[in-house]
Amino acid sequence: MKESCSSISRLLEKYFDRETTGDEGILVQDHLRQCAACQAQLKSMEELRATLRAPVDEAVQKETFAWVWQKIEREIQDRAKPSWRESIRAWFGLSFPFRRRVWIPAVAAALLIVAIGSPLFFKETPSQTELSIVEYVQSDTNNVMVFESERENVAIIWLFEGAEGDPFS
Amino acid sequence: MMGKRANFVIVAFVLVLAPLFVSTALGQVQTRLRIIEASNVGSGIDPALKDIRNQLGSPLNFTSYKLLRDESLSLALNRPQKIQVHETVSLEITLTKQQKEKAVYQIRIFRKGSEILDTKARLSPGRTLIVGGPEHRQGNIIFAISARF
Repeated sequence: MKESCSSISRLLEKYFDRETTGDEGILVQDHLRQCAACQAQLKSMEELRATLRAPVDEAVQKETFAWVWQKIEREIQDRAKPSWRESIRAWFGLSFPFRRRVWIPAVAAALLIVAIGSPLFFKETPSQTELSIVEYVQSDTNNVMVFESERENVAIIWLFEGAEGDPFS
Repeated sequence: MMGKRANFVIVAFVLVLAPLFVSTALGQVQTRLRIIEASNVGSGIDPALKDIRNQLGSPLNFTSYKLLRDESLSLALNRPQKIQVHETVSLEITLTKQQKEKAVYQIRIFRKGSEILDTKARLSPGRTLIVGGPEHRQGNIIFAISARF
């Protein structure tokens, strides 16, 4: 029994796509041996596929997917970037708490720097007694006068000898 | 290994800083002592006294200030130095304490060998202590003492 072209043409696309069952495939093959028109139709389908596939394959072969690699590399870098704590650990070589031998001189050095540097940062405010530069005056034989003026930057100790007048204006 | 390195760092710190403390402790203080004759004979202030012109002329009422001697003393701690001003008057100055920017002096004035004044004063850079009073000719002697750090 010869199948008509119209009934085969429905199966021809399935056959072309290799989706026919065994019996359907035999049916199509038997028909194609006898029908030049259906052979021509199959051939045109194959040519169309070849025409479409060539530029796609070429594009796939040429494409290097650079952007994909860039993204992957960025991802790797982000994951590989250590936190500050891990960086410090890495710097000291081992886990921080176990490096007490490093801690001790580091803390000692820091304390030393603070002890030396603190007077530079914290200026002492002189007390009232420190403003006076004369600590004591003593004379068993003469009268003595002390004149101090912080504003005028003057400190005078005057020993009254003899009968001279008042030297202060 | 690490312990040895830490010890080395500490020792190095001490060795570097120690000379600073030692130099401060053992340093001498340069002290300027000017001996001035103040009187009411004539007028004017010696040009060598222009830096203390205000300290002399403002509180004191002499008309003339004349520089007699300008001494630069290198005073070590508790090592008194005696200066003979004239035949009868002498001055003894001793550095009794030295701090970072402060020096404490004991100043004693003698007339004919007897102490007529004993005082202690603290000087910082830029300040001048005036000690005056002993009679000299027609006026009085004034000592201007300042420290240089």
